[in-house]
Amino acid sequence: MDRETVRTICYLARLEIDKGKSEKIQKDLEAIIELIGTLQSIDTSDIEPLYNPLEMTAFKHEDLEISDNKKDKFLKNAAKSNEDYFLVPRVVE
Amino acid sequence: MSIQFKSITELNELLDNKAISASELNQESIQLAKKYSELNCFVTLNEENAKKKSAAIKRNQKNPSLLSGIPLAQKDLFCTEGLRTTCSSKILSNFIPPYTATAVEKLEGAGSITIGKTNMDEFAMGSSNETSFFGSVHNPWKKGFVPGGSSGGSAAAVAAGIVPAATGTDTGGSIRQPAAHCGITGLKPTYGRISRWGMIAFASSLDQAGPLARNAEDCAILLNSMSGYDSKDTTSLNSEVPNFLENINQSLKGKKIGIIKEFDLSDLDTEVQERFEESKNAYENLGAEFIEVSLPNISASVPTYYSIAPAECSSNLSRFDGVRFGYRAENTVDLNELYIKSRSEGFGDEVKRRILIGTYALSAGYYDAYYKKAQQVRRLIKNDFDYVFKSVDLLMTPTSPSTAFKFESKGTQNPVELYLEDLFTISANLAGLPAISIPHGQVNSLPVGLQLIGNFLREDLLLNAAHVFQKNSDFHHAKPNLEDFK
Repeated sequence: MDRETVRTICYLARLEIDKGKSEKIQKDLEAIIELIGTLQSIDTSDIEPLYNPLEMTAFKHEDLEISDNKKDKFLKNAAKSNEDYFLVPRVVE
Repeated sequence: MSIQFKSITELNELLDNKAISASELNQESIQLAKKYSELNCFVTLNEENAKKKSAAIKRNQKNPSLLSGIPLAQKDLFCTEGLRTTCSSKILSNFIPPYTATAVEKLEGAGSITIGKTNMDEFAMGSSNETSFFGSVHNPWKKGFVPGGSSGGSAAAVAAGIVPAATGTDTGGSIRQPAAHCGITGLKPTYGRISRWGMIAFASSLDQAGPLARNAEDCAILLNSMSGYDSKDTTSLNSEVPNFLENINQSLKGKKIGIIKEFDLSDLDTEVQERFEESKNAYENLGAEFIEVSLPNISASVPTYYSIAPAECSSNLSRFDGVRFGYRAENTVDLNELYIKSRSEGFGDEVKRRILIGTYALSAGYYDAYYKKAQQVRRLIKNDFDYVFKSVDLLMTPTSPSTAFKFESKGTQNPVELYLEDLFTISANLAGLPAISIPHGQVNSLPVGLQLIGNFLREDLLLNAAHVFQKNSDFHHAKPNLEDFK
């Protein structure tokens, strides 16, 4: 894993690594990739992936209208909001 | 009369005999949490609310709920309406949930009182509780030693006798390993047994809530309340929930317990091996038979887990962007910078590492090699379990390769060193199976845990095997000396 790959992954994950820590993080990621790379030696041809131990179709619940409006509670948790919306820096000029 | 170190059953007797009121009981529990604040096992106490709720408890003398008036602590990743829920992260340090997790709602519905929210590894990522934004939790058995993780605060609060039981979550061993390091009992139920609704997600196909308590009987009491189908969780199991106390006393005569050939215990500390052999003998004396079994792919559990869990975490944690809830960085010029700065300042190093690994494993060109490959190996591991459970009732392993260790002594140079702590616990999560850790002695004055793994939905058998062992031993009665924490 080179520095450029680490930079690309950081951008994809919207994370920034402190300059002083970048070498250590790169080394850590290499060690973890080496660990998970050991799986390559296992023969998995014709094996279906197991994405969830239950392997069942997700349940659907009835589509019912509820009158419980928690808008104010949700907006209260945002760092910036007005009466109706979450506020973010200007997106469209 | 002190309520410290009392089990739920013992506290019920005190309440029934009117030796103590629910109000006094909860008041004392909160006083103990304050007295031992140096353990750092609580992030937030729920003092006012607990006072109000416990004063309103009216125990039905004829048929009281076994949790009526009982103080409990909740791991700080269960959303609790109106009560701060942080996941021990800076990014959620001011989050007040607008709703309560189903598991907590059920426990409170049965009359229990939430006295506080417990410290944990940040977003449940860790095996030592050292990644918490609110600082490390001390192991009640030895100051400066880890309680295990990620449910370290819950385990320490129970071990210190502050509460008789607490909730935890287990993604790769996060209930069982801290239970082992703190000398208490911890159960990870079958995947889907307890609703995940309102649990802040780490790895959705592995996460499962469960109880930590002083003994198996108390775990059964909590499990009875926490279990059941919930339409709000799409992976909730719609199957019957037995009364887990009903068969807890059954004889173990003729029960077949498998010992996994691939786990070479000779690599472990000699005394850890000795404790294991002693417990094997104890189970034989109780009528169980041991059979050596082979799970050929189980050694691949750690790399499989450390591919799948980070992938799921990188997806789940994308919701923390500083916009709708949680920490937001100041002075950002555009939306992208708002995301990057809020996440970078809000998450700790271990969480960042796992998000990055997961992003890498899911990115174009690597998906098949890492993520899909790991899910294929996961099926092989599950197939191995399906096969051995045709010939055994339970499997037995140590819970952890070692006892609790000193702060900052593992994983600081290479995180993989700490990941290997999860060797014995991870496979049950990959296969969705229930597993329990019970204390079975000490090594160098620190507790060690014994793990039993059961077949799908067989928590009843795990609790039965654990309870019968505890009826015939005293390990679960051992109490730490808390002088150093006053």
